[in-house]
Amino acid sequence: MELARKFLDNALKVEKFITLSAFVVMTLVIMGDVFSRKITGLGIIGAPRIAVFAMIITALVSFGLASDKRRHLRPKFADDWLPESWDPILIRLQELMTAGFCLVFAVVAVGVVAETYALEETSRMLRIPVWPMQALIPLVFFIAALRHAIYGVFLNLRPTVEDASGIESVPQSDGVKVSEESAT
Amino acid sequence: MTALALTSSLILMLMLRQRIVIMLGFAAAFSYLAWGDGEISYVVLDMWAAADQEVLLSIPLFILAGNIMSRGSIARRLIAIMREATNGIPAGLGIATVLSCAFFAAISGSSTVTLIAVGSVMYPALLDAGYTKKYALGALCAAGTLGIIVPPSIPLILYGVMTETSIADLFKAGVGPAILLTLLMVTYSVIVNWGMPRAKFSGRAVLKALKGGIFALFMPVLILGGIYAGWFTATESAAVAVFYAVIVELFIHRDLTITELKGTAVETATMMGSLFPLLMMALSINTFMSYEQVPHALVELMSTWISDPTSFLLITLGLLLIVGFFMDIGSAILIIAPLLIPIAIAQNIDPVHFGIVMIANLELGYLTPPLGLNIIVAMTAFGEDFWVIAKAVIPFLLLMLVGLLIITFVPELSLFLVN
Repeated sequence: MELARKFLDNALKVEKFITLSAFVVMTLVIMGDVFSRKITGLGIIGAPRIAVFAMIITALVSFGLASDKRRHLRPKFADDWLPESWDPILIRLQELMTAGFCLVFAVVAVGVVAETYALEETSRMLRIPVWPMQALIPLVFFIAALRHAIYGVFLNLRPTVEDASGIESVPQSDGVKVSEESAT
Repeated sequence: MTALALTSSLILMLMLRQRIVIMLGFAAAFSYLAWGDGEISYVVLDMWAAADQEVLLSIPLFILAGNIMSRGSIARRLIAIMREATNGIPAGLGIATVLSCAFFAAISGSSTVTLIAVGSVMYPALLDAGYTKKYALGALCAAGTLGIIVPPSIPLILYGVMTETSIADLFKAGVGPAILLTLLMVTYSVIVNWGMPRAKFSGRAVLKALKGGIFALFMPVLILGGIYAGWFTATESAAVAVFYAVIVELFIHRDLTITELKGTAVETATMMGSLFPLLMMALSINTFMSYEQVPHALVELMSTWISDPTSFLLITLGLLLIVGFFMDIGSAILIIAPLLIPIAIAQNIDPVHFGIVMIANLELGYLTPPLGLNIIVAMTAFGEDFWVIAKAVIPFLLLMLVGLLIITFVPELSLFLVN
């Protein structure tokens, strides 16, 4: 269990670092593009593509951050359909099912990335291969599978409910980010 | 039979407490396997194509900008301006509450954050000034919902992405309805609180408050003005918003430290972690449906029942009201917007106007039991009973329904800036 805890802690640290860096890149690149266009009349070549790649990195890597805070949306209205005494087993099942799905998607995504690699697909604007970016998909799904499998096996490592009211988790976007426990 | 298998599987997953993202992923994979070419890998390709869009950049950046601005003392500064500006007017404090919510919503982009930030200051102030608890709760919960229609709004961006509608146009179209709803709430506030004691108006106090909050007030002007003047696109405006928010909060208001800024970015990323995979899966299903010409078939089917835009709009209003009872706005837009938009277009309804109608309609879901998010949040924030708040919002809910009907049947209200 100690190893599992260490894995979760380290994965979280890396995920936080990557998403933070990607946010900085996204903002600076677009701002630089806007400023450059206003001042010199020319934008930064490929700036939107770089920002989009940074966004994809953030979007994929932050799947783990949402898991860590139990922020993935979940319809709650059917929670009473099964007896309350089944809760412990249902929680395990929930996590192991999520892990199973993530694993299936990870395996499928490996095939997709292999195909992109074989076809030597490149980003037209940046002229760099696309597969290293796409490789994030299976990687993220593999880590998610492992993370949720750990939650399913070691229930005490599963994050506790952080914000049942949804107060912390609702931005915006609203409706867009509702805490898992207050969801639809 | 296959459809029955999919439905039963989804119900089973619901009972097993699965996340929506997993259920959507399963539905997408199942659809490709059962009705498509039998290749699950298309789901992954669709996910990639869904994420690989410049327009999506605005979502994380607007959320980040809103979160940065919400962390500091923006709410307090805005409230100070609104309170000073409405002193001397009948029901001044009530008007200040509604206006504070509207302006703060434009900055934070969030209904619930608006409710908490403004409510934490204005709820006790309203009660101290003699306003009824019913009015105070109702006004804060209802005015808090303005966050999703006042641009920049994430639901509007989501609608734009799902229906390939211009986000800049949607932002412009949100202005008129937002003003209408604000005016309706302000008018109601004046009528029910006419006899309330009025504080003395002071021009000097207004100027002092303006000095403290001018940078917060300027943010929506910068964003909308920049888009409207063509200085930057809606996507770029999101980066400008982040940049502006960081400069204001870090160096001018000095309400934010670098560590807090990092925390805010991580918090924003966490929100993205729940939203983006959902968006990617929903877009995958959307792609599949387009490929299989489901929207086309739906339009044909509906056209046998619906003969004119008015009946379509009325049916849509009813449907979305019911959806708003049980579904959060993000999921509702991701799932329903792509199905409704082809029918709306076939009925000659402007997609920008339809988007505003949809968002204004789903906005009511924040105030309706059993899952009215603003009611739940107010319950926690103000320590009041769920049903007390649910009853308090009824007059505002009716007002918003009136507003919704006007928004729906007077498209010019939404489109005057767009055209």
